Amino acid sequence: MNRNIVIVVAAVLLLSSCGVVRGNEEEQATGGPLAAGVTREPCPKAVDQAKGCIYLGTISDLTAGPFAAQAVPITKAQSVFWARVNKAGGVGGKYEVDVDTYVRDNKYNPETHRQVYNEIKDKVLGIVQTLGSPTTAAILDDLKANSIVAAPASWTSAWEFEDVILESGAPYCIEAMNAVDYAVETYQPDSVMAVYYPGDYGADAAAGAKIAAEKNGVKFTAVETPSGATAQGGAITAITKEKPDVVIVTTGPADLAAIVGQSAAAGFEGRFIGTGPTWNVALVQSPAGPALKALYEQSAPGMPWAADTPGHQAMREALGSVTPNDGYTSGWAWAYPMKAALEKMVAGGDISRAGLLAAVKSLTTVDYEGMLPPEAGNYSGDPNSAVFRQTLINKVDEAAPTGVTTTKGFYTGPTAQAYTLDGPCFTKL
Amino acid sequence: MIETLIRGLGNGSVYALLALGFVIIYKATRVISFAQPSFMIAGAVAVSYLAEITGFYLAVVLAALLVAGVALVIERIAIRPMIGRPVFVIAIISLGVDVVVRVVANGFIGTDVRQVGDPWGFSLVTLGGVTIQQRWIAMFVAAAVLVGLLFLFFRHTRYGLAMRAAAFDQETALAQGVSVGMVFALSWGLAGGLAAIAGTFVGTGQGVDQLTWIIALKALPAIIVGGLDSLGGAVIGGLAIGVVESLAQSYQGDVAPWLGQNFAVVTPYVVMLVVLLVRPYGLFGTPEVERV
Repeated sequence: MNRNIVIVVAAVLLLSSCGVVRGNEEEQATGGPLAAGVTREPCPKAVDQAKGCIYLGTISDLTAGPFAAQAVPITKAQSVFWARVNKAGGVGGKYEVDVDTYVRDNKYNPETHRQVYNEIKDKVLGIVQTLGSPTTAAILDDLKANSIVAAPASWTSAWEFEDVILESGAPYCIEAMNAVDYAVETYQPDSVMAVYYPGDYGADAAAGAKIAAEKNGVKFTAVETPSGATAQGGAITAITKEKPDVVIVTTGPADLAAIVGQSAAAGFEGRFIGTGPTWNVALVQSPAGPALKALYEQSAPGMPWAADTPGHQAMREALGSVTPNDGYTSGWAWAYPMKAALEKMVAGGDISRAGLLAAVKSLTTVDYEGMLPPEAGNYSGDPNSAVFRQTLINKVDEAAPTGVTTTKGFYTGPTAQAYTLDGPCFTKL
Repeated sequence: MIETLIRGLGNGSVYALLALGFVIIYKATRVISFAQPSFMIAGAVAVSYLAEITGFYLAVVLAALLVAGVALVIERIAIRPMIGRPVFVIAIISLGVDVVVRVVANGFIGTDVRQVGDPWGFSLVTLGGVTIQQRWIAMFVAAAVLVGLLFLFFRHTRYGLAMRAAAFDQETALAQGVSVGMVFALSWGLAGGLAAIAGTFVGTGQGVDQLTWIIALKALPAIIVGGLDSLGGAVIGGLAIGVVESLAQSYQGDVAPWLGQNFAVVTPYVVMLVVLLVRPYGLFGTPEVERV
């Protein structure tokens, strides 16, 4: 008899934990969750106790992975971004946003990413940061199945083709097209070489460089290089042997220093243009500093830390006395579309994941407070018409807080202008 | 060609120093310690801070002592209590130690690429018509000096003798009054110090960031090639891996383009596999006889 009771109790517990037997239907009326990740109760750190709370998750590379150096400032910037939103009255005057409760470390491992995503996905309305392309790919099907909107911390062109992904700024592919067009206009090269990491960061940019080189009738070669300071010998040999006029680099900062510094030391005099993530302010003081100053420019999807826009100003004020880093700038800028989408969702009255996704799909512009042009926030329509095609060129400037200043503001080169985005670029390399 | 070889010997010297650390710990404790990458990065980070105060050379010495000290403490609190447990358990603990030390070191690296303040940078020197980077020569010379000192230490000092005795037969050494605990501690300290110096040389020129630790993994094929319990083998293995990798970086694209663009990355492991097939105990390792 006792045994039967135990079995029945165990079965009820099991079923209720699976969500089959539920006794909480009245929860909505008494102040329980309104939708996944939305409560009538105030946020844990609420400014106004009368407002409800929207929880957003963050899955980033916070400790042991390769992008922790960028991920930590991105996450910090987003935390202070939403604190500022909450202080200014929250979203639609009804909700505040919490991005601090559900922060998880993916260690840049897709398996870990999926695991921590499963931990938090029922507790959040959307994901305010999912860092990395392979990691985000690991949860993409589930995001789509559950209509969970997620803002990525990467700029691959594949995101243009996903409704649930809320990307900001031009993808690497477009950035590299603009870099080559800029080089053609400025340096009249006969040959362009792409030196890139394998995967959809490097390959996306290399594909863009290839498309632009072909369009401009310039000889193109692609050299794939692994990450690691002692592993750059092959790329350096290729550069010094083939002597291209322009090299488009898509690596990390330490590897950029190795490539530029050692190529220049070996007598190479061509130009280098690196994508946004190749730069780090500490490179100015490195042994490669003089070579970088002489030969290198940075292409970038957004303006650097010290830019004079209301958004940059607000970011610097909100962060206070941190060491300037453009990880902060990216993290802050990426948060604007989520803010716009949440406001639209609250105004529309459908407070749910479906409501948020519908709000995202209806956005044609986003107010980035000047950090990006409003049309960068176009998430309606097909990928080819919605993709943002403007990037900038920065030069090394020791006096600037993050070591670079903009020399050519937002522009679209002829290649990117005419290009039809009909699939992720990296498949075309 | 000569330039490529010297680049290989330079990088190979770094792998050799790391490999020596692995082998010293293995000989003393029969455990492969996976904490070496973290000691390497901790050394480079320490130098990057100390060099601003003391200058580069003194900073390297201080950082090596500092990391050796950290390794001693870790050995005492995390490894010593595990003696007698299966070596697998200790290896896994060393993995945990690696993550912990690396996270702390990453905290000091922060978001930037840190410079170690070395005097060479990317400066070149022309020797007999060949232009080579000064830092490759510095790496090779430093490694040669350290290896020389290490061999003198093992041959001519009481502690060196104790370590060799313990490596040969722990119980007999214990019976003869050798403090095996001291040997364990010393092996961790030496491995930590060597890794710290290797890390500094990795950081010359391009600096260190949070990704630099991966280079330490190249020491694993080096010790397999040289033989897990052979100090000389570790040096030869490290240099061989460096040279093969450098040659592949420069020439594989021309000679065997069908292997793909980044074959150099896997060459250390290809060499390792070939050696394992031909000599399973490594080129200089001791073959074990097991009665079944």
